[in-house]
Amino acid sequence: MPGIDIAALQKTIEEEITKINSLLELEAFRLKYLGRKGVVAGLTSAIPTLAKEERATFGQQANALKNSLNRLVEEKEKALGAKAAVQITNTMDIGMPAVTHQIGRLHPITQVMEEICQIFTRMGFSIVEGPEIESEYNNFTGLNIPLEHPSRDAFDTFYIKSHVTSHTSQEGKLLLRSHTSPVQIRVMKSRKPPLAVIVPGRVYRPDATDASHLFMFHQIEGFMVDSDIKFSDLKGTLEMFAKAVFGDDIKMRFRPHFFPFTEPSAEMDISCIICKGKGCSVCGRKGWLEILGSGMIHPNVFGHVGYDPKKYTGFAFGMGIERIAMLKYGINDIRLFCENDLRFLEQF
Amino acid sequence: MKVTYNWLKDFVEIKLPAKELADKLTMAGIEVKSVEEKLGDFIFEIEITSNRPDWLSVIGVAREVAAITGKKLKGHKVVKSQVTSKAGQALTIEIENKKDCPLYTATIIKNVKVAPSPTWLKARLESVGCRSINNIVDITNYVLFEYGEPLHAFDLEKLASAKIIIRRAREREKIIAIDEVERVLSPEILVIADQEKPQAIAGVMGGKHSEVSFATKNILLEAAIFDPLLVRRGRQKLGIQTESSYRFERGVDLETAQKARARAIALIQEIAAGTVEAGKSQGLAKTKTPPISLNPDYAERLLGAKIETNKIKSILNYLGFAVKLKKKDSLSVNVPGYRQDVKKEIDLIEEIARIYGYDRIPRTLPRVAPQLSSGTTWELVGLVKNILVGCGLNEVITYSLIERGGLKDFGAGISLPVEIANPLSKEQEILRPTLLLNLTKCAAHNLNQKQELVQIFEIAKAFSLAQNLKAQEELVLAIALCGNKSWILPQGKVSYELGILDLKGIVKTLFTRLGIKDYTFETESNVGAAIFVERIKVGVMNILPREAAERLDIKNKNLALAELNLELILKHAKLEKKFISLPLYPGITRDLSILVKEEVSLSAILSEIKEKAGLILEEVKLSDFYKGKQVPAGFKSLTISCFFRSAQRTLVETEVQPVLSAISQALSEKFSAQFR
Repeated sequence: MPGIDIAALQKTIEEEITKINSLLELEAFRLKYLGRKGVVAGLTSAIPTLAKEERATFGQQANALKNSLNRLVEEKEKALGAKAAVQITNTMDIGMPAVTHQIGRLHPITQVMEEICQIFTRMGFSIVEGPEIESEYNNFTGLNIPLEHPSRDAFDTFYIKSHVTSHTSQEGKLLLRSHTSPVQIRVMKSRKPPLAVIVPGRVYRPDATDASHLFMFHQIEGFMVDSDIKFSDLKGTLEMFAKAVFGDDIKMRFRPHFFPFTEPSAEMDISCIICKGKGCSVCGRKGWLEILGSGMIHPNVFGHVGYDPKKYTGFAFGMGIERIAMLKYGINDIRLFCENDLRFLEQF
Repeated sequence: MKVTYNWLKDFVEIKLPAKELADKLTMAGIEVKSVEEKLGDFIFEIEITSNRPDWLSVIGVAREVAAITGKKLKGHKVVKSQVTSKAGQALTIEIENKKDCPLYTATIIKNVKVAPSPTWLKARLESVGCRSINNIVDITNYVLFEYGEPLHAFDLEKLASAKIIIRRAREREKIIAIDEVERVLSPEILVIADQEKPQAIAGVMGGKHSEVSFATKNILLEAAIFDPLLVRRGRQKLGIQTESSYRFERGVDLETAQKARARAIALIQEIAAGTVEAGKSQGLAKTKTPPISLNPDYAERLLGAKIETNKIKSILNYLGFAVKLKKKDSLSVNVPGYRQDVKKEIDLIEEIARIYGYDRIPRTLPRVAPQLSSGTTWELVGLVKNILVGCGLNEVITYSLIERGGLKDFGAGISLPVEIANPLSKEQEILRPTLLLNLTKCAAHNLNQKQELVQIFEIAKAFSLAQNLKAQEELVLAIALCGNKSWILPQGKVSYELGILDLKGIVKTLFTRLGIKDYTFETESNVGAAIFVERIKVGVMNILPREAAERLDIKNKNLALAELNLELILKHAKLEKKFISLPLYPGITRDLSILVKEEVSLSAILSEIKEKAGLILEEVKLSDFYKGKQVPAGFKSLTISCFFRSAQRTLVETEVQPVLSAISQALSEKFSAQFR
């Protein structure tokens, strides 16, 4: 095409593009040359007007120019883009507060209860709950605790003021359960062995509140009944539990004790998790921490629920959740659990 | 209880160092709480379980030591037949009811020299925490600690005569006890009286009047057994507990009482001279308890450990049981009198196991037939808690017992609360019918700790009296929101105070996640709303009135509270999920901008739209809201977004237009809506 010097054009383009400093200018440049009605399109559309012998050469030159333009625009775009990114970092401050949508937390007692329940459910236990208002029968008599006996001294209890004059003498007065064990009676009365049950829940005892006592606290009770449950099974099961909660390197011991509803009875101690058994203020220099009470279910209890003590044996255990949570997290005052200070709750 | 190493050595040879012995005792069930070295002796502080009254004595603990270490028990030589009735002084014992007093022995010892105790006696008593009085009283205490049988010595001359009457106290009868406190008695209390008046509260405390003093010349020594229940009730009624009542209410046996009596007489003669002038004993005949049969196979089955029959025999023998081999592998065991706790075969198995050593029993795992139960309340509550935590709420646990007075600000609809018969304080008067009082207190505590934002919930029982006045409990969820939520966003700080609509959002999220679809919120007042699930009222939400909030120390802040009956809600939960195919065709969104009077409820408008639109309306929601300068006073501007879609085809404009017209017409007719 006469009058169009492609080489000169190439030079002009190269000069022009070096002066471009923004993406906006680059876009205008691109439209000018590569747009639908741009310079390159003009060149291409002029081809048919050329002499036959010139067409091929001109076509090739125009195409080369187009490729070069595309490359130039692409390179410039990259260069400008990188610059833009640099500009953004200059104005952004990652030190500004994060925009968060905070989620809440479960109470530490709930967390510990769920952890313990999970350990036992994985071992095949199922969870059963019971009412907090209980009968004297389920809380005491059925569990082989005579109503007037020194063994009751350990179970001080809140009684419910009665407005109902007639209640069945068998059930006795109403009270706030002082342990989760009455659920043993409820479950065994309504179901037949084999049983493997754990019972989490709130319990109440009229104790004056101090750093280690609350009048309301939580327990988890567990029991297993079948035709061939042994004391050694109790030891094995509780060992698994303690290791799952406190770690594999924990040591355990079973000490004979007395509970009216189990015989033989045992308390389980674990080696102190603070001093590793050397003796410290937490374990009273003994190196051992008492964490639960347990034993083989007393034949009298089986008698009360209509199980044949000759046919069935079983074990039961019970533990205070606050105590375990205190040991696990190193909490020194039990009252913190009921104060619900967010600065406390948000640590768990 | 305290017992000393050297005192134990009087009864059993001990080679183990004190500390090691303490560990062994602990592992046999006598928990030694501490060992304290003092004046060449070791004092063990031990905890004794309520089933083992025999351990409330040096000899009882020594018997354990013997069994653990395999040593023979050394007894005191019991000097016999010192106590023969002599002429000179007539001694009579009259027991009103032998059930109350199965044994009463009295011994008259004359011409005793009451004096301070010898040093060894004083030291022993002091080491177990007992104050020295004089040699006679000290001897009775010494024997109490040694044998576990409480004794009492009366000054014979202070009694009306040598006639001892064991009877119930008369109504309003009085006694000044040795602690110098005058006590008013009643027929539930057993006394030791002379012909005139009570001289001691049986099994609990002696009387001041006949107390042995340095002036005493002749004494009457009592060794007796009283009904445990009677002693327990008596000391509970009088509000006192003594070393004596502690042992009697746990049970003392006849044989021990006789041995202790002989030991005391011997000590009195040795230390305070005196001559035994008369002795008498009255009471019930010793009942013979039948032997218990013990099957070593059963023991093995129950313990999961094989203990040889010979070992079983030897353990039981050391503990004082007589064992006979009955037939092949069945033992017949006679229980000694001091082991009233051993009644069944299982009790013997425990004795064997604890002396054999719990640590020697292996650890095994039971075969469990798992009972997989799902959808239990525990599980559902766990799900609810996790949803709420996801909404930003923190779980709290507060007391179920509250003060009655605190309820008046939360008392709507609450009739009679469930009352506690024996609260320790005013804060434990009733079982709470609502969780909101404690939740509010909890919010107040945190706001006072300068928390900007408090978002808490609790799931617990609420208690009430049913129609028939029976106490009942229901699981309740309560939520409290207070304070400001704020963010620093690129456009600056954004902040707003939480209110009732935040509660609504939380409840809505909860219902959605529980698969509850049919629920509504209905305004009940300017500050409150009721929540319905399938047209059943399940809860309420409101802003706590300012005066009430101020009474609980929350100032200038809105506290949004909700309380829901969780049991009702969980009944409606549908957790099974079913996949619905994703829509195949695109839909059309149309916005309606209207101006209506402020009092027109949005729910009414939305349900009107739904009704008029029919099936092709997939979703309708408020997409903008304005009230202020741009609209006339008393009006609000709403932009409502309608999304139309068909499951069968792509909707076209001409299908949607008539529906929109119908909606517009209905809105103008029903709510006088002006379209903008």
